[in-house]
Amino acid sequence: MANIGRRGFVKGATLGALAFTVGGAEVIMAAGEARARGVPFRLLDAHQGETLEALGETLVPQAREAGIAHFIDQQLSVPPHESLLQARIFNFRPPFAEFYRTAITAVDEGGRKLFGRDFAQLPAADQREFVDRMRQNKIEGWTGRPGAIVYAVLRADAVDVVYGTMEGYEALGIPYMPHIPPEKRW
Amino acid sequence: MANEKVDVVVVGAGASGSVYASVLAKAGKKVVLLEAGPDWELSDLISSEIWGRRIKPAGAPILLEGRNPMTYAAQGGWGVGGAALHYYANFPRLLPTDFRIKSEHNRAHDWPISYDDVAPFYDKVARETGVSGDAKAEERWRPAGEAYPMPPMKTFRNGNIWLKGFDALGIPMVPAPVGMNSVEFNGRPACLYDGWCHVGCPIGALANPQITYLGEARKAGAEVRALSTVTRVLTNQAGTRVTGVEYYDAKQQKQTQEASVVLLAAWSAQNPRLLLNSATDKHPKGLGNASGLVGRYMMSHHVASTWAMFDEDIQNHMGTIAVQYMSYEHYPKTSHDGAFGSSFITAGFALKTTDLAMSRADLFGPELADYMRRAARNLAGIKTFGEEQANIENRVELTSAKDEFGMPLGKLIHSYDQDAVALWNANLEEGLKVAKAAGAKEAWSSRGSIPTSHLMGGTIMGSSVAASVVDSYGQSHEIPNLWVAGPSIFPTAGASNPTFTIFALSRRGAERMASQWATLTN
Repeated sequence: MANIGRRGFVKGATLGALAFTVGGAEVIMAAGEARARGVPFRLLDAHQGETLEALGETLVPQAREAGIAHFIDQQLSVPPHESLLQARIFNFRPPFAEFYRTAITAVDEGGRKLFGRDFAQLPAADQREFVDRMRQNKIEGWTGRPGAIVYAVLRADAVDVVYGTMEGYEALGIPYMPHIPPEKRW
Repeated sequence: MANEKVDVVVVGAGASGSVYASVLAKAGKKVVLLEAGPDWELSDLISSEIWGRRIKPAGAPILLEGRNPMTYAAQGGWGVGGAALHYYANFPRLLPTDFRIKSEHNRAHDWPISYDDVAPFYDKVARETGVSGDAKAEERWRPAGEAYPMPPMKTFRNGNIWLKGFDALGIPMVPAPVGMNSVEFNGRPACLYDGWCHVGCPIGALANPQITYLGEARKAGAEVRALSTVTRVLTNQAGTRVTGVEYYDAKQQKQTQEASVVLLAAWSAQNPRLLLNSATDKHPKGLGNASGLVGRYMMSHHVASTWAMFDEDIQNHMGTIAVQYMSYEHYPKTSHDGAFGSSFITAGFALKTTDLAMSRADLFGPELADYMRRAARNLAGIKTFGEEQANIENRVELTSAKDEFGMPLGKLIHSYDQDAVALWNANLEEGLKVAKAAGAKEAWSSRGSIPTSHLMGGTIMGSSVAASVVDSYGQSHEIPNLWVAGPSIFPTAGASNPTFTIFALSRRGAERMASQWATLTN
């Protein structure tokens, strides 16, 4: 058994960062950095990524910049037992990608019915109105998992990337106080 | 592939399996623990809610149905240490009334044992693992026992701020007993109060199995095989004895582990799943299931959460995830008019950003951002755990869907009855009164779906072969060398967090197994 000391005695923290593929090589970085550097998605297509960013930003301001789409994309690419996504805690049956694909489809269909455009193309006020209806299961013709579940999972993902990091704690003025801090300030 | 026969094969290296492994290995038995998940070490326990999800269930999912589906994945464990690697280490005990609810109220079942049978094992576990608390203060509600080995934990403003409110409602609050170190204990350090308990405590201040029973078991020679998924319990041709288990190893190769005794300690949903999947022509309904009750009487605790904003900075990031204060004042089953069941009241716990966000799950966008800034300073909560009555319709059964090893997935069907709903509502209403009396600026209840916390039942204990699956020690009524441990043997739920009782019952069962060894191996 490992002999771990008091807070600040760091061991095993190499597990704490996300691995993104840049130029064919695995690079460890935070999801926000991956977005800023334009790291290609592994599984999502551009529209799916754009939609997840728009949904994330509507749910939790700054989720786009924090790399919500890159976070979800990277986490969908690892084996389910390594996944850190809230989908795991919601007891979804792997592969988790299916949830996100169907959710994006449902959101786009709903967006077109209600406002005539895909969700990501809507003005912010309409995106907000849409999410509020989705939260209450009040979008007619919705397909897939209930809108309230989609809201809960995506909101939780967005909370993760904005508030679940050491930067997120710092922004709120909350001391992080880790025993073993996640690497790269995750 | 067959392995050398051992004395005991333990399925699951969590709280209950670790206790058995420790007691039996120390008694000289050759013990192998098969654990479906990884072999976590303390150095793996990163202080992050995101990374902490690695120690939550990740094997074959349990399918969830019913009006109140169990929050299975949030509660369960994945890997060595099981759910006790990320538990909150609240260590209240059941009270005498829990053991005789049928006799006293004509509800559910009596346990085949009394509080007095378990009490010495509560004390023993407290001495062995370390518990901080004030036993004398608790004894206003329960029979006297030994003092806890450590004084109560520190309290913080996020807990103390509630006391005025409870006092106003005539609810005495006392220091909560927890499996954490308020001072150095057995070479393990005192807690630092930074609230990362629920993603695994890497410093040894919290009594997880790695540093208590499982560590002792390994020192005594027990072998842990991680990433080993058991799919069947095997029997002799006559069906009179179990002979071992079939499992898939880390390389997904099928293996057989023969053993003189098989102990199932894989939590309340997986224990029945394994028994049901081990049916033979001699046991067509599943092993140990002549009663038809394997998988039945699944139970949970409902949780009434009250949140409040206060004017002052209450430093809600400080403390532990375990609670600072508790009360059994409304533990008597008829404490609330129009509702039935015990309530266990708690207050004072550290909050992380996920908790802040979840305390107002309806908010999003700029309103959420504004709320998060305020909640970071001013939010505190209280929680009251409520008893659910044992209901035969709440159950685990096998489905036609299969996991990667060809084993049928389990389906857990769970719905609260009207007693549970009424008790939950009563506790929520009381919580708002407490918050108002405590001087909260604003207060609200977590409404919506009724939460499920802790999973119990599925292989309940009893004295009758027709009305239960195992005896009070966890020994199968039908197959003497087949044992079951953990919360699945609880016949009723009480309202107290279950792990202290899991440890105590496992300690009792393990001592029984060791003392009766000759009768098990004949």
